[in-house]
Amino acid sequence: MRLILEVWRQESPDAEGSFETHEVLDATPEMSLLELLDRLNHQLVDNDQEPVAFESDCREGICGTCGLDVNGVPHGPEDNVPACGQHVRSFADGQTVRFTPFRAKSFPVIRDLIVDRTGLDRIIQAGGTIAVDAGTAPDADTLLVTHDDAERALDFAACIGCGACVSACPNGAAYLFTGAKLAHLALIPHGKQERAKRARSMIAQMQHEFGPCSQIGECALACPAEIPLVAIAAVNRERLRAGFKWRKAN
Amino acid sequence: MSSGIQERSDVDQIPVAKRPATSPPPRPQTWLLKVIMAATGSVFIMFLLFHLAGNLKVYLPDDPQGHFNEYAHWLRGLLNPLLPGSTFLWIFRGTLVACLILHVYSGLTLWIRAHRLRGRHPRKVHATKHHLIGRTMLWSGLIILTFIVFHLLDLTIGRVVESKQFSTAPTYTLTHGATTTEVTDAYANLIHSFERWPVAAFYVLVMVVIAFHLSHGIWSIANDFGATAHRVRSLILLLADIVALVVVIGNASIPLAVLAGVIA
Repeated sequence: MRLILEVWRQESPDAEGSFETHEVLDATPEMSLLELLDRLNHQLVDNDQEPVAFESDCREGICGTCGLDVNGVPHGPEDNVPACGQHVRSFADGQTVRFTPFRAKSFPVIRDLIVDRTGLDRIIQAGGTIAVDAGTAPDADTLLVTHDDAERALDFAACIGCGACVSACPNGAAYLFTGAKLAHLALIPHGKQERAKRARSMIAQMQHEFGPCSQIGECALACPAEIPLVAIAAVNRERLRAGFKWRKAN
Repeated sequence: MSSGIQERSDVDQIPVAKRPATSPPPRPQTWLLKVIMAATGSVFIMFLLFHLAGNLKVYLPDDPQGHFNEYAHWLRGLLNPLLPGSTFLWIFRGTLVACLILHVYSGLTLWIRAHRLRGRHPRKVHATKHHLIGRTMLWSGLIILTFIVFHLLDLTIGRVVESKQFSTAPTYTLTHGATTTEVTDAYANLIHSFERWPVAAFYVLVMVVIAFHLSHGIWSIANDFGATAHRVRSLILLLADIVALVVVIGNASIPLAVLAGVIA
């Protein structure tokens, strides 16, 4: 397969940046999009050119490290699949594929296709943790969690923090990300201890760097962990609930 | 010997991870603005439905003019004699104006915040209903705002855009058994206004815009008030379209009926 790759090249955060066009002649349909970039990089190194900088780690959809826009869509043309799980077979022979870094003001480009996603880490640092002395492991039946709650908490916990929701959002909002974490921790016994405090601090931090939600739903269509759209409502639910809990942590 | 990394001049420019902000978030907070929009939006939806119920009196088979004018007269003296004259009407109007100011202020503030955080590269989007309507809420909102001004000038105040026959003088006689009251002929004002086809067309067009604004707005209200239960969300999603349809069909049919000569 022959593919024409238009790749965003940017030396440094302050550099102007521009598109570079390359041709990959020996792409195969079963290659992942990251392998396509690997192929391109081999080609570039062979020709004494600088390889394209992009992030990847596990390449099996669980780490959330890979993240780039392909033809203007986070991760690539397929909905709810990370870039490492998307394949060249989505494209026609001879098609032009455009790789751009995740699009959001909150994600400044570090180099080429690598963006700084620490804004999401700062939301987690603000309260997406459990600071409760849980002691030693309790007896089996002392902390009761219903099966439904456990399943729902796990659905929200599936977030891999890749940032595709922010890139997909026309407003650069991180509601799906923040809401997933809030909903997840609100459902389990240890998380409930700091529920209100967490909502206040995480949502405050989110507002520092990310935009408002317009209930458009692009985030849930991009999310490789298939976080349901209800997570965006969890943000306001948790914050409203915290508003009625004067000064109390939970 | 120098390694590749040491040659890199941009290492210093790579952002160092910052700590979470210790300063308060931008005020008013984004989530609060969304709640304000949802609360004021809910007031408007209730107002729209009551307004629609009043409007639909033009379709009453038996003396629509009398019913419509009686309703208009009743509105002006609502809660009499507890509150004298049109006191309640003015409280009601004041509330609506306050809600409108809050709604527009929140909407614009959120739009500006969203616009600042938009990224550099163009985005390919899913052509979903909520994308198309959600992205244009500001514009449909501004059209509705223009319409509110037009509508008040046309049928309430009677300035600039009113029909030639517009009058607030008590020219219509309401009869209740032996008692008669002279009231404004609101029905005639409505008919005369809609007999002008460009005005009728504008009303119909704006009703379609309102329907779009409503169908996304009601869905947003559910999210902004934090409705997370699956059944509630499905119900509201359905309700959003039903309310939008009821409002557009109920209201837009009136100017069309006037033009078609069904109501005269």
